[in-house]
Amino acid sequence: MAQSSTADAARPSAPVAPSEQYNYAIVKKFAIMSLVWGVLGMGVGVYIAAQLAFPFLNFDIAQISFGRFRPVHTTLVIFGFGGNALFATSYYVVQRTCQTRLFGTRLAEFTFWGWNAAVFLGAITYMAGFTQGREYAEFTWQIDILITVVWVAYFLVYLMTLLRRTQPHIYVANWFFMAFILATAILHIFNNLAVPVSLFSLESYSLFSGVQDAMTQWWYGHNAVGFFLTAAFLGMMYYFVPKQAGRPIYSYRLSIVHFWALVFLYMWVGAHHLHWTALPDWVTTLSATFSILLLLPSWGGMINGVMTLSGAWDKLRTDPIMLFMITSLSFYGMATFEGPMMSLKSVNALSHYTDWTVGHVHSGALGWVAMITFGSLYHLIPRLWDTKLYSIRLVYVHFFLATIGIVLYIVAMWVAGIGQGLMLRAFDEFGNLSYTFIETVVFLHQPYVVRALGGGLFLAGMLLMAFNIYKTVMPVHRALKAAESRTAGGATATARA
Amino acid sequence: MADLWLWITDLGNSKIVALLLFFSTFVGILIYLFSSRSRSDRLESYRYIPFDDEDTPEQRDQDRKDRP
Amino acid sequence: MKMKHETIETNAGLLVILTLIVISIGGLVEIVPLFYIDDTVEEVDGVRPYTPLEQRGRDIYVREGCYNCHSQMVRPFRDEMLRYGHYSLAAESMYDHPFQWGSKRTGPDLARVGGKYSNEWHVRHLIDPKSVVPESIMPGYPWLARRDLAYDDIERRMRALRRVGVPYSINEEEYQANVERFGEQTARMLHIDDARENLEAQARRGNYDGDPSRITEMDAMVAYLQMLGTLVDFSQYDEGYFVEFR
Repeated sequence: MAQSSTADAARPSAPVAPSEQYNYAIVKKFAIMSLVWGVLGMGVGVYIAAQLAFPFLNFDIAQISFGRFRPVHTTLVIFGFGGNALFATSYYVVQRTCQTRLFGTRLAEFTFWGWNAAVFLGAITYMAGFTQGREYAEFTWQIDILITVVWVAYFLVYLMTLLRRTQPHIYVANWFFMAFILATAILHIFNNLAVPVSLFSLESYSLFSGVQDAMTQWWYGHNAVGFFLTAAFLGMMYYFVPKQAGRPIYSYRLSIVHFWALVFLYMWVGAHHLHWTALPDWVTTLSATFSILLLLPSWGGMINGVMTLSGAWDKLRTDPIMLFMITSLSFYGMATFEGPMMSLKSVNALSHYTDWTVGHVHSGALGWVAMITFGSLYHLIPRLWDTKLYSIRLVYVHFFLATIGIVLYIVAMWVAGIGQGLMLRAFDEFGNLSYTFIETVVFLHQPYVVRALGGGLFLAGMLLMAFNIYKTVMPVHRALKAAESRTAGGATATARA
Repeated sequence: MADLWLWITDLGNSKIVALLLFFSTFVGILIYLFSSRSRSDRLESYRYIPFDDEDTPEQRDQDRKDRP
Repeated sequence: MKMKHETIETNAGLLVILTLIVISIGGLVEIVPLFYIDDTVEEVDGVRPYTPLEQRGRDIYVREGCYNCHSQMVRPFRDEMLRYGHYSLAAESMYDHPFQWGSKRTGPDLARVGGKYSNEWHVRHLIDPKSVVPESIMPGYPWLARRDLAYDDIERRMRALRRVGVPYSINEEEYQANVERFGEQTARMLHIDDARENLEAQARRGNYDGDPSRITEMDAMVAYLQMLGTLVDFSQYDEGYFVEFR
């Protein structure tokens, strides 16, 4: 069988514990930070959701008023929670599938500190009022440079690890991670071109203006979704779903089509965020066309993931981690169907600028991204510390909290978005507008309360996970520390003797 | 032939030309992947790469509380 | 050589290069033409760069993250034209670094908010939105009225903007070009050497925050809001004129 032939070539001659063969220390750090930022970022998210329902929560404090706090939320969840989870899983997957130790221990260490410093500084500077005013790219120019340097280091670590693999093939998960690293580098650099006010100023003015700037920003913005929040998490999916299911991925050939089609098509679709704007029509029409095409590889990938479990569906009854993964793929399928639909110009005319978009993003971000991350981390963390999860039952509770939270969130946003969209375009019998803008805002109050509630449930699940992981890791951590001090003590004793 | 060349080089037709190019590449990839039986078997054998590297045998389906 | 997908799978360098090529195509096709085609931005009279005071107001607009809830892009629909005014033109944001079209309307569009309300309304609304719109969910921005406007770096800001293509003038030649393009009155406002006096003069003249004794961030903010969407005189053009640029 082919399996054994590749395995023989790859297996090290002497059996070594994975924890010694591989660099797990760096994976552990990223995994823990992912949880920390997850709790903080989602906490801020629930808070700003509550601000929209109950505006007194702004308290007239500049640092936490909605406009400054929302970028804190998006940055902490996308780059803090998501980014750290991606670093952790990509460093783990590349080592396990290449069967080699991670290249550059120090360099990898630098990516950890650099990346988390950028996230932390970002949050602080937004609250202090320093921003580039571009969604999901609010980092000031100094932080942008730091991110660029970190990213180059990340690319080097990843590529050099691939190059020294003992396994002849590069497994498909790594292609997705590689595409994510490359695309993010290009997007980040071109979207953040700016001229600083001065060398010591945090402020800068973007190189492009108006139409060109809008196009560059949404080319970035949508591909942050496409590559950061999709391609990379697909890499996660292609490794952790088969591992957790104990069965290989459904079809390798499908994954080849999936990869090239997805990577090619995503870059075309950003302009669907700019329908009916001053951007030339041909660009937005083209991007809508490609958005529809994108449905095919997206669903191909979803089917590939879900069908991995074919013949072992009973696992869903016994394994809440699998439940997380399969549900995340279902949400992926749903969000990638909703997306192309919203990119149609006629639908977009109603949905754009409303909460429908917000709901759509969150069905992707909570349903797909966060849930596949939870599943992967629940799989990964016990292996990193070579232990068992503290409680499987808490994972179940987390799963149900998260799912109910998402459903409340999405439904509330559908009601809010479609409702407001219809109200804004309603005319009375005399051809006058039926509603003023503020009347639609009043209508939004109840959906906003429900949304905050849904977000709160999701956050509660996240807190449970943090607790569960803490209880899982801490005993091992303490035992390791104790063993360390014993050997250290022994060493000094021998030295004295 | 010359007409065809003129049509292709006319920038106004670039969309159709691009569509044809991309679509035929896509179909080409599909044919490459799914046509030959032996190639399919070979490609599918790479599915097992994640399992070349198993963790220690006692696998962790239960949590700590379930242990006797 | 026989082309196999394995060739890519077993060669990290090739994988990197091919991926780079495949991801570059989409962006190149859609973005690059926007920088060359003249039709992207139509010729419209009246559009001019921001005055120093307005630009500082815009900086504060960006700082407070107003774009998170307000768009600046009126779409060509009947309800939006009735609610906000003529649909936005590409030319109207040609000096916007960065653009602030926004992506969400938690509050109304602001592309044509200029002149719709009085200065006093804006000041009260920004300090405490509920005092003028009881149902509003907008946060208050009372600190804008308290803080003095920092403008000692206004020349540096304008120079940075000049570098990215905004026609602020630094010498006689550029000034004369601006006189020809925008008229003398506007050209004077765009001269970097006079930026400070221009800013102070406009704040004094406009007295946007109702307190003539000092120049606050509120002055700049209201000055910016009051000019939004007012530059183009749409009565000059036929209804069909702008359609070709869409």
